Amino acid sequence: MSQASEQPTISVREFVERAPAQLSLRVLAGAVGLDERRITLPRIQKLGLALAGFTHYIHPGRVQIVGQSEIWYLGQLSPERRASAIELLALEQISCVLVTKDLLPPAEFIAAAERAALPLLQTPLVSSIAINLVTEFLEAMLAPRELRHGVLLDAYGVGVLLEGESGIGKSECALDLIGRGHRLVADDTVEVRRLGPEYLLGAAPDLLREHMEIRGLGIINIRDLYGVAALSGPKQIGLTIRFARWQQAQEVDRLGVDANSIEILGVRVPHVLLPVSPGRNLATLVETALRVHLLRVRGYNAAERLVARHTELLRAAERADVGANELNEREAADDGEAKAD
Amino acid sequence: MLERRVLVTNRLGLHARAAAHLVRTASTFKSNIRLTRTDGSATADAKSILSVLLLAAARGTELLLTVEGKDEAAALAAVCELFECKFGEERV
Repeated sequence: MSQASEQPTISVREFVERAPAQLSLRVLAGAVGLDERRITLPRIQKLGLALAGFTHYIHPGRVQIVGQSEIWYLGQLSPERRASAIELLALEQISCVLVTKDLLPPAEFIAAAERAALPLLQTPLVSSIAINLVTEFLEAMLAPRELRHGVLLDAYGVGVLLEGESGIGKSECALDLIGRGHRLVADDTVEVRRLGPEYLLGAAPDLLREHMEIRGLGIINIRDLYGVAALSGPKQIGLTIRFARWQQAQEVDRLGVDANSIEILGVRVPHVLLPVSPGRNLATLVETALRVHLLRVRGYNAAERLVARHTELLRAAERADVGANELNEREAADDGEAKAD
Repeated sequence: MLERRVLVTNRLGLHARAAAHLVRTASTFKSNIRLTRTDGSATADAKSILSVLLLAAARGTELLLTVEGKDEAAALAAVCELFECKFGEERV
């Protein structure tokens, strides 16, 4: 059903090549290490205190930022102390160093980076802006991800993920929904990324974007057939619907009072199990499930209200009914006997 | 066709969750399963949740269970068992 990958990492070369253009990253030294060194954490670190000898908190997988204060600090050291400060950094264990504001680090630093095969990068941007861009880029690149088999649509503004075994009719249902004006995000394979503690973003793999496979028709292009308005970009997943054949769907909810959910990448997502059988129009059911979901998100649960009215009805009937009172008395007597034993 | 009288003995009566339990069980059988209030005021298809809710069977209500079909014996036993064990909600 799904295929999870461990915490992703990127090489420094990928970082240099794919980072936002505004950063205009240049490699000053240590190009030999571009492929081997990897960035594993999205948050950056400033080299500041480490240069002063406090190297304990250097995280090997982070981008180390060197700005004006670090350069000044190194510049005012005597050549010997500068050399020992640089040596203490253990450059072999750092993923890469990014110098901001187009500052030029001391020659000793450049030489040490070259020797240690440590990629030493440079950007014209000031630290505050560079740090924002780098963090945002790395958070997206390093977000935990998972490929799921299913169809993701944007319907009534909600990202709805349709899942179920192959051949159960997910794509056909999606086509029906597109015909009704809803929008396709991804067919067959959905790339899910966790961009925040409660935020799952689903997207189509680059190759498959805008395409669907319909049995008997083959691969079709949705933009060609329905126009650009039938497509949506990456979308937050708000609801998952699983199609199951009647026999497998023993645990189908008949009341709809309880909110069900499943976990994707550690995030709970509202979930509906829909039994599939001839004569059930899946597109209509999905649309209805979405309307119900939207009402519930806004605090209205029709099933709960009906059940509350029913409970009230039962209480009133019980008060009026002698049968219940007799039962109560009999049970009270039984309890009394049990205690006497 | 099989018939048996059953009594709603659980504390909350045939409330929504118990009704859902009943409907799920009844739906696993082929037979027609009906519940009728002995005062004749309501009758329900045991496979339809809304119809069972409409019975408004409070604690102490007596119902007539009728089952008709190929697996009627098994269906009757299963449904009676549910009423006897108070829908698995309370210790018996």
